[in-house]
Order: sequence, then structure tokens, then C-alpha cells
Amino acid sequence: MQNSGVSTRDCPLWDNLERTGFTSPKTTRERKPMNTRILVVDDDSALAEMVGIVLRSEGFEPSFCADGSGALSAFRAINPDLILLDLMLPGIDGIEVCGQIRAESGVPIIMLTAKTDATDVVAGLEAGADDYIVKPFNPKELVARIRTRLRPTQITSAQILNIGDIVVDVAGHEVTRGGTRISLTPLEFDLLAALASKPAQVFTREMLLEQVWGYQYKADTRLVNVHVQRLRSKVEHDADNPKIVTTVRGVGYRAGSVI
Amino acid sequence: MNAFWARLAHADWKGLPARVARQWRRSLQFRTVITSMALSGVAIILVGVYMSFSISNDLFASRLDQVLGESQRAQVAAQRIFDSSDATDRASVQSVMNAARTAIRDASSSGLIAVYRVPGQESSAVAPQNFTSPELTAGVITESLRASVESGGGAQSWQSTSIPTNGRSAPGLVVGTLMDIPGIGAYELYIGYDLVQAEETLQFIQQVLWISGLGLLLLVGAIAWVVARLVVSPIRFAAETSERLAAGDLAVRLPEKGEDVVATLARSFNHMADSMQGQLTELAELSVMQQRFVSDVSHELRTPLTTIRLAGDMLYDQREDFDATTRRTTELLHTQVQRFDKLLADLLEISRYDAGSVELETEPTNVVQLTQDIVGSMTGVAERYGSELSLRAPGGHFEANVDPRRVRRIVTNLIGNAIEHGEGKPIEVEVDSNATSVAIAVRDYGVGMSEDEMSQAFSRFWRADPSRKRTLGGTGLGLAISLEDTRVHHGTLDVWASPGLGARFRLTLPRSQFIAIDQSPLSLEPLVPVVGGDET
Repeated sequence: MQNSGVSTRDCPLWDNLERTGFTSPKTTRERKPMNTRILVVDDDSALAEMVGIVLRSEGFEPSFCADGSGALSAFRAINPDLILLDLMLPGIDGIEVCGQIRAESGVPIIMLTAKTDATDVVAGLEAGADDYIVKPFNPKELVARIRTRLRPTQITSAQILNIGDIVVDVAGHEVTRGGTRISLTPLEFDLLAALASKPAQVFTREMLLEQVWGYQYKADTRLVNVHVQRLRSKVEHDADNPKIVTTVRGVGYRAGSVI
Repeated sequence: MNAFWARLAHADWKGLPARVARQWRRSLQFRTVITSMALSGVAIILVGVYMSFSISNDLFASRLDQVLGESQRAQVAAQRIFDSSDATDRASVQSVMNAARTAIRDASSSGLIAVYRVPGQESSAVAPQNFTSPELTAGVITESLRASVESGGGAQSWQSTSIPTNGRSAPGLVVGTLMDIPGIGAYELYIGYDLVQAEETLQFIQQVLWISGLGLLLLVGAIAWVVARLVVSPIRFAAETSERLAAGDLAVRLPEKGEDVVATLARSFNHMADSMQGQLTELAELSVMQQRFVSDVSHELRTPLTTIRLAGDMLYDQREDFDATTRRTTELLHTQVQRFDKLLADLLEISRYDAGSVELETEPTNVVQLTQDIVGSMTGVAERYGSELSLRAPGGHFEANVDPRRVRRIVTNLIGNAIEHGEGKPIEVEVDSNATSVAIAVRDYGVGMSEDEMSQAFSRFWRADPSRKRTLGGTGLGLAISLEDTRVHHGTLDVWASPGLGARFRLTLPRSQFIAIDQSPLSLEPLVPVVGGDET
């Protein structure tokens, strides 16, 4: 709340929206008890406004930023629970913005992309985006994606899981190795916890897409591939020779054998 | 050395004419050399024959002159001896004759002498005997020569003949004249000369002629080879360079030296290569521009479409609160935005193919499972149209290396088409495989297509029957995209159809990108003869 002034200066779209009679998140937050803040970074004002309408109707509290260069300061000012990030932005492009934010925070990032070209999507995922939605999307799709990323982890089994020399504290949402905390994004934590909850089971990419990303239908398995790589780079001693998250050729992944 | 002979012995002598003929067809240089040598050979033979002929004539003529002169001197010397003698008795006449013989031998430098008493004279007791050198016997001196000498009245007569010397016969000349022994009568004198030396000279000259002719011929051949090489080499180099250019090495050029025809060729070639390279570069730039354009259009159109779609869907979700007209408007907006969305997606997909910017993302995929999945998800739609969707999979239960997203798109599209044109009759999906490939066939028993329609089936925006309702909301690009999806897999997509009997589309994909399809495991035409529905 106290930061709304900062974001007004940083994000040119702010003034624009207020001029056009768009209500600021300040007022919404006062009205709604559940103030899940979502930062929408998109240069297209009409789309941003429309996304805002959809989000607000679903009870979220949207904030806006119209260019890449202001995105990081807007993120710092608003401290959102989730970011919707367009890949093509004036100033700094979405992939770079994604990397900048990921360097500071594990906040869920969903990319909005008009391009279905493989390279852009993979570049975005590698930069740390958790998921992506291809334009044009419909409101249900958007909301479903957002809710999946915001929902709390649903692990029913043990509260403390062990994989190799890694300890996963599900309740505390913490991963440690020999007492040292390993910083994971919520998505990476979900992925690791899902694998660790059933160490004997091999997870196919489709199972992981359903369990971690919430896709009920066949989706892009590259989401899994890229995020397993990112997870490995954080939890493995040697990412080229994985011991924690092992690949089962032709099937999928499983948690490394418990010591 | 042995190896060489062995090779020679085993060489394919029968195939030699064919090889030469092939060489003749293929090598300009070979042809030039052979032609030059043949023409020069004819010229050399003509010149050689003429030279040999005239030299031999000349040799003979000069020898004849010499022989006639010597014979004349011998006759004169002998006649002088006879004239100055006064011998009357037989012995002295004989000795005079012997002296004359010696004189003849000395003057004529030939030992081949024959003296005959002219026949038809009064016989004389003291007349010396005829005598003949052994070489001049046996018909060397012919009757016609003798007749010519006898009637010549002292003039010389000569005749070419062959004279046996040293056991073999050599060409020679016999010159005959008359001598008069006073008081005794007329005698014929024949002197034989051999032409061995002239013959040898002629042979030597001929030998030299032929050897130098042959040498000249070889020289002409060598010159033709060198000259042809001088001309052919640049042409061959130009040909090789064109080949490299055709293979895509656009930077190759010919060296432009001098101002001759070869340099002109090189200049024209380089000019052509320059303009080609320029145009290709331009085309490549255009292609890049097109790709960028596609990408830009994609972004520019999709963003406003997203806004429209979000807005339309928001309205659509609240349609129950609207009055009837607004509700219908909202519904139309909703469905048409979806259609626009699909059309845009298909257009972008096809233009991506046109720009060549499509990459296959293969992964091990169980094609039967994939097909099962699609069939399962489309059963509902099929039932709504009254069609029963069935799957038969005798083969294909393995992991083929394909792009599952594209295969899914193809099969979904084929089944969708079958539902749309199937007229509520059963739809059969078949999967089978062989060593090289896996195939999926989709058969419907609907309206089918004519030959003409079949050839158009994969064209963009083509519709089997324009008057038909667009029920499943196809964009008209479905089969065109399916065909591109198949091509990028190096597979085949073909169709069998018959009016009123339905259609069968067959997709054949290689097991992996590195395997060439040998033969499709499924037949294109239905195996079971189609029986008309009314008869069963």
C-alpha cells in the first residue's frame, strides 16, 4: 500500500489507467479480504486492462507495468504474489526481466507469449519462468494457470522427506543439505517434493505436468525438462551426473535412492 | 612386369570397342586427337605414296640413262675391235670375239653379257658361237626384245626384267643392240644390268618416308592433344566450377585472364554467378524478412485478439443476464472469435512452414497409445454425429521417434475430416508397422471423393463441397498443414477415395528420422472389397 506512489512513477501505464477511470489496486485491496497481488507486465494497455478486469472479477488484485525497464522496480515496490510477464516488451525484453526478478525472488512467473516458436518459450523457461500461456488465451485458462501456481503444495505423506543428502521439510517449505538452506522457487520445491514423496515411483513427464503444473491434458513436456535442469543446478553436486533427480530413459524422472 | 602381362591377358578385349566408343562420346580431347590423327594420316599417306612413286620413277630413269650410255660405249668398243680385225680363221675370229667380250665387260661394267648370231643369215664355218652368261638364260631375254633388236637396225632396245642373282631374282634391265663382224655377219649383243642398288635406295627412301610419316602422325596427335588440352582444360574447369556453384558454393569464380574466348567465357560465367549470388542473397534476405514478418504479425494480431477473446468470454460467461438479442450477439461473437483464433493459428502455422522455420521435436512415442488417446478424446464428437469410432492396431506397439504434437495434429485432423464427411457411418482407424515405418489409416464410409477432388484434397482453403455446412469449423488449412507435418517427418500422406464409398487417408512415418521408408505397412486401398450398403 505504501509503495503505490513509487510504482506510479515507475510504470507509465499507471497514470494512463487512472486517467481512464481504472481503479487502483489500493481501493480494491481495501474492499477484498483476500488480496492476492498480481503484477501484469505488458505493453499493450488494452490487453493489460482486460486482464485486470478478468483478474479482479476473480478476486485478485492486479498491478500494472508497461515496459521492461520499469518491471524490476515495480516488482520491488508491489511485492506481488505472482507475475504475468509478456515476452515482447519495450526497453528490456521479457526474458531478461524474468532473469532479473528470478535473481531476487522465487515468485511464480507466468509468461504471456504470442510466439509459439520453440526457442522463445525455452529461453523464457530457462530464464526462470514457471509456466507460459500462448496468446490468445481465454479467461478460464488464465485463471486456472494462476490458481495452480498460487495453490499451496498438497503433499499428504510425511512432513520430512529425504533424498540422498537432501532434506525436504514440507511443512516448513524448506530444503536443506547438511543444515544449509538451499533456496528454491515454489515451483522447484513442488517438483522436488512431488518426486521425494514417492521415491520408489518413476514419474512420467505427463504425471509431473498434472501434479506440479496442474495440466489435465497433454501439455508441453519441455516445461518439465527445463525445470528439472534448473532444479538439478541447485540441488545436485554435479548437474551433469545427477544423483538427486535421476532420469529414467524413455520414461521420466525419479528421486535418487534414499541413503 | 609379370603383373602387367597378366593384366594385359585378362584385359577385357571384347569390351574394348565399347570402351573406345564411350571414350569417343565422353571425351572431347580424345575425339579431337583421333580426328586430327585420322585426317593427318590420310594426308601423310597421299604425300608418301606420291613421293615414293616419283622417286622410284626418277631413280629408274636415271639408271636407265646410265645403262643405255654404258651399253652404247660397250657396243662401240666391241664394234671397233671387230672392225680393226682381219681374222679369217675360226680360232682367230674366236679370239677377236673374246677380246670384244672383255672390252664389253670393261665398258659396260656388267658381267651379264649375251651374244647371239642374228638368225636367218648365211651360215659361216668361221662364225663364233653364241654365248650367254648363265644369269641371262631361261627367258630373261624375251622373244619380243630380240625381235625389236633385230628389226631396230642398230638402235638400242631395252626391257625391264628380273635377273636371278645369288639365288634370288632381282629387278634388272636388259639392253640389246646389233654388232657387225665384217665378213661374218650381224650379231645381237645383250647386256644385263641389275637394279639392286636402285631398289635398295628406293626401299631405304620408302622406309624413311614411312617412319617419318608415322613420326609426323604421332607428332600431330601430340600437338592435337596439347591444343585440345589448352582449350578443353578451361572448359573442364568451368564445368567443375559450375558444378560447385550448382552445389551451393556461391563464392566460386573463374580466373579472367587475357582477352580470348576462354576469358570471355570466364567473364560471362562470373557475371552469371554474381547475378545469381545477388539474387539468392536477396531471396535469402526476403525469406528472413518473411519469417520476421510472420513473427511480427503473430505478435501484432495475437495481442488484440487476446483482448477481444478475453472480453468476448467475459460477456459470454454473463450471457444469461442479457436479453435474447444481446445474448445471441454474444454467442456469435464468442464462436466467431474462436474461429478467427483457429484460422489465425493455422495461417501462422502454414506460413511458418513456408518460411522453412519449422523444426521437428522428436521423442520416443508409442503411436498406438497416441492414436488410442486421440480416438478416446474424439469418440464423443463422433457419437454426436452418429459415427462409431473404432481402432484396430495389429502393429505399432513400440516407441517410434516422431514429433507427438504434430502426429497428434495430423491424426486429429484426419479423424475430424472423417467425422465431418462420414455421414454418420462407422469410422475405422488402423495402426500397423513394419521394419522401417509405422502407418495410421483413417477410413470413413461417407460421401467420398472423385479423382479430381482427390487431387485437390491437400490444397489450401479447398473444400470438397462448397455448399456443405462447415460443421466442425475447419479452417480449410487442415490437410495442407497435415501434409507439411508429414513432410517434415520425411513421411507420406496419401488418400484413396471413391464417390459414395468413402475415403481412406493413410499416414506413413519412418520409425526414426534416419530410416528411409521402404514400404507402408498398410495398403492405401481398402483390402476388403467394398459392398454397397443396400445389398447387405
